[in-house]
Amino acid sequence: MSFRARLLLGFGAVVLVPLTVFGWRIREVMANRLTAEYQHRVAALVSVIRADLDQRSAGIAPRLAALRDAIARDNRFRVAALQGGERSYLLDYAGDAMRLAGLSLLQIQDETGRIVSSGHFRNEYDQSDPALPRLLAAAPAGTALVEARGAEGPFLALARVDSLRIGSRRFTLVGGIAVDSSLLARLTPDSELTVAVALPSDTSSGPDPATQVVSALVVPFVMAGDSARLLPARIVVSHSLASLVALRRGVALSFLVAVLVTALVALLLASWLSTRISRPLTALAAKTADVDMDRLDVAFDSDRPDEIGALSRLLGAMTERLRAGAARLREAERRLAMGDLARQVNHDIKNGLIPIRNVFRHLGQAAGETPDRLAAAFRDRQATVDSSISYLENLASNYARLYPQPARESCDVNAAVRETVKRVGETGQANLRIELAEGLRPVRTDPLVLRRILENLIGNAIDSLAARAGSVTVSTGANGAAGVRITVADTGQGMTQEELNRAFDDFYTTKPGGTGLGLSIVRRLVLDANGTLRVETEPGAGSKFIVELPGEGA
Amino acid sequence: MNPQHRQVVLVVLLAAACRAGAPHAELPLPPPAPAPGDTTCTIAAGRAAARDTITLAVTDPVDPGHAPLPRNDAERLVFGQLYESLIRLDCQGRPLPGLAATWEQAPGDRWGFTLRDNARFWDGAPVTARDVLASWRLRDATLAASLTVTGDRTFTVPASGPFQRLADQALAVTKPAPGGSWPIGTGRYWMTSGDPASPDVLVAQPMARTGQPVVKIATVPASAARDALDGEAGVLITDDPAALEYARTLAGYVDVPLEWNRTYVLLAPGRDKAVVGDLRLESLREAVRGDARPAEWSGPGRFWFTDLEPCGVAAGRDTLGPAGRRRRVVYKQSDRSAADLAARLVGLGALGRGAVAAGVPASAFESSLRTGGDAAYVLELRRRVYDVCRAALELPPWSSAATIEPLLDVRSHAVVRRGLPRMTLDWDGTLRLTPP
Repeated sequence: MSFRARLLLGFGAVVLVPLTVFGWRIREVMANRLTAEYQHRVAALVSVIRADLDQRSAGIAPRLAALRDAIARDNRFRVAALQGGERSYLLDYAGDAMRLAGLSLLQIQDETGRIVSSGHFRNEYDQSDPALPRLLAAAPAGTALVEARGAEGPFLALARVDSLRIGSRRFTLVGGIAVDSSLLARLTPDSELTVAVALPSDTSSGPDPATQVVSALVVPFVMAGDSARLLPARIVVSHSLASLVALRRGVALSFLVAVLVTALVALLLASWLSTRISRPLTALAAKTADVDMDRLDVAFDSDRPDEIGALSRLLGAMTERLRAGAARLREAERRLAMGDLARQVNHDIKNGLIPIRNVFRHLGQAAGETPDRLAAAFRDRQATVDSSISYLENLASNYARLYPQPARESCDVNAAVRETVKRVGETGQANLRIELAEGLRPVRTDPLVLRRILENLIGNAIDSLAARAGSVTVSTGANGAAGVRITVADTGQGMTQEELNRAFDDFYTTKPGGTGLGLSIVRRLVLDANGTLRVETEPGAGSKFIVELPGEGA
Repeated sequence: MNPQHRQVVLVVLLAAACRAGAPHAELPLPPPAPAPGDTTCTIAAGRAAARDTITLAVTDPVDPGHAPLPRNDAERLVFGQLYESLIRLDCQGRPLPGLAATWEQAPGDRWGFTLRDNARFWDGAPVTARDVLASWRLRDATLAASLTVTGDRTFTVPASGPFQRLADQALAVTKPAPGGSWPIGTGRYWMTSGDPASPDVLVAQPMARTGQPVVKIATVPASAARDALDGEAGVLITDDPAALEYARTLAGYVDVPLEWNRTYVLLAPGRDKAVVGDLRLESLREAVRGDARPAEWSGPGRFWFTDLEPCGVAAGRDTLGPAGRRRRVVYKQSDRSAADLAARLVGLGALGRGAVAAGVPASAFESSLRTGGDAAYVLELRRRVYDVCRAALELPPWSSAATIEPLLDVRSHAVVRRGLPRMTLDWDGTLRLTPP
């Protein structure tokens, strides 16, 4: 993670986390306080409704008393009720009286419970409902909620009962005021408060406490025509939590905006700060990236008094030390290269001198033992001397050109093998065998390169025998349709895997007095001739070096 | 007995005679000749005095769109003065000349009619046989197709149907008015555009200046019926008990009960007698405030609506089923007697606990009645109809598979100011101003 990213994250954590916690806490405190306030309002409204119902109930009583007195004085009612005359007057009486008294429910029953006259439902006359006045009389404070029948459906009323005696008959008056939606609406001071009546027959679960604050007032209830006893009904007051939810949403939104704005400011601030801090670091890193062994002249000068300035100066000092070390290293490399070259020259010259020395040793031996054959021996070996001298001349020429581009000409691999084996075999140090395939394509390379390859490989193979009885076999063969394969196999000591891994490294040798350049040179020469070099070896069983060269025209 | 009392007794006796003599059974066979007169159906509230204007006060609305077929007592009174059918029936069901002056048996088992010589539309155009044909085409295409024009003022119709059906107001001869308001009729009165200052007052002018007064028709709310009596109303058609009680206290008026011409029925889709099974329907009389009696049919046969199959109305299948209907007893909101009856039925427990009475506007009532979407309907039907099959068309199509329970017969009263010109009552209860 980059320094800038860390800085941004740190800034975010430091600024946003406290802000979020603060907002959440404010939201919770506010919700708790509002909920408590709602509960208080609901409880207050329940008290108001209780008082209002008490007041309304108390207001019904004098109206019923006035009606009772009016009925007692009404002779037409008396005649109709006692003697059966003016039936229509009796039936219409309760309706007119109910309206005059400002009631919503008025029912006049005789002593058997038969409805004599009904104001709210004129045509329920002669129906029987004796339980209604009895239950109302038994209700606490003489008042109960009544579900009264109406022609167009039942309605709720807060009702009381009164009675009077006309002649020998007793009549009961049930009067009340409607508890309808308009009354309940008048009791609610605002739209968030709801007042509803829950009857015992209601199967709905009522207001959801999760979304509303709820309180209830229990009142006795009578279902007209169907009640055997007083039942509890509830006037349920509920306060919607919708505004609280909306407030919470508003606060959450505000805090979200605040968090976003803060995050943006923090982002910009952190970006500016990180840029201010990271820019010199980035520049320092770029300068450091420019440093390598070929370029140690990068300047790390800085006047900054801070840690970055100190770091820059330390890097400058380090670069200075690297410059000195690199100079020493280059000198060592130069010396090493010169040594390598000297060893290479030494090696190559030795390879050229060995046949000559052998010829002279032969000539010396012939001069001492058979002087008469000296001339013949000289003629016989003159070609070897000429060849070696020519080799040395070429070698000198090549070194003189500092490794120029080798020549490219058609070379007969079998001929090169025979010549090399012949020349090396003259030493008599090993049992050298050749197995040459016929019809090989010539290869296009420098003959000197091919000779050096063969000489090095055969020389190494002979050296690997280490004076043990063994053989070296040089074979040739076709490599595919157009290639030539040269294999130099020995039955010497072979190589371990570790030795094999390093066999082609410069200056790696296991021979006493070896230069460690032979195989390295061979590999380079094979590669220059566009060929490949493989080794198959086994410790104690010998090695097999396989050179594959492209045939001419391939 | 002073003359005034004698007149009152005479009026009452005449009205009673008319009621007693009115046929309650099937219509009589058509007599070959018109009745000698309709004196038994005359209402004369004392000695007639010359008047320029008579005000008829009605408590029901009058809708020109219904003309010439009345839907209530007010329209029956008004349309009776404006439109004529070929014949009319007096209170005893005897045919009297109407638009047709004479009729006779015609060849081919037909009746031949001759229009009145002076028969004219309100616009002055003479009424011809082709006008009759054109008018009938609009209301009874079958009958119109059977009409054969034999002359400018003569035509024949088949004698296969009852003769009395030709007195049906639905067959009154009219032609469309250019303004689209009142159809142009041939009656003794024509409807003017009225007084813009008094939109509730219709003004009908007599066609001939033969001493007939101008007729004003004032539509008043039932609660203002007594105010009409205190004003200038010559005739008040009402069933409001308070207004009638008040009228009886006024010496200048005579209360003439009209015919029991309407029957309230409970119409319930399906043949479920349980709708009214155990209800004490005898207590219905007290449920309504107007003049009512238990529904009764004193003549032979039954109510016309109890068997509609002869009209080709086959017993249909109740496709909706009880579960698909609202448990309501529905009535027309403006019909107070229907409201009282529906409330009483609910009070008696019709349709069971939880059923309600529901008053709905006329359009909603007609819509619900067509579909039969409610459990029961309270509606009024004409008690006397000229043509049962034509009247059956006014019932919903499912009524052949319905329970139709007659509940109450009701009637209105005519409160007639003394000294008015004579009036007569037709068989269907239409009150007509009689020319001097």
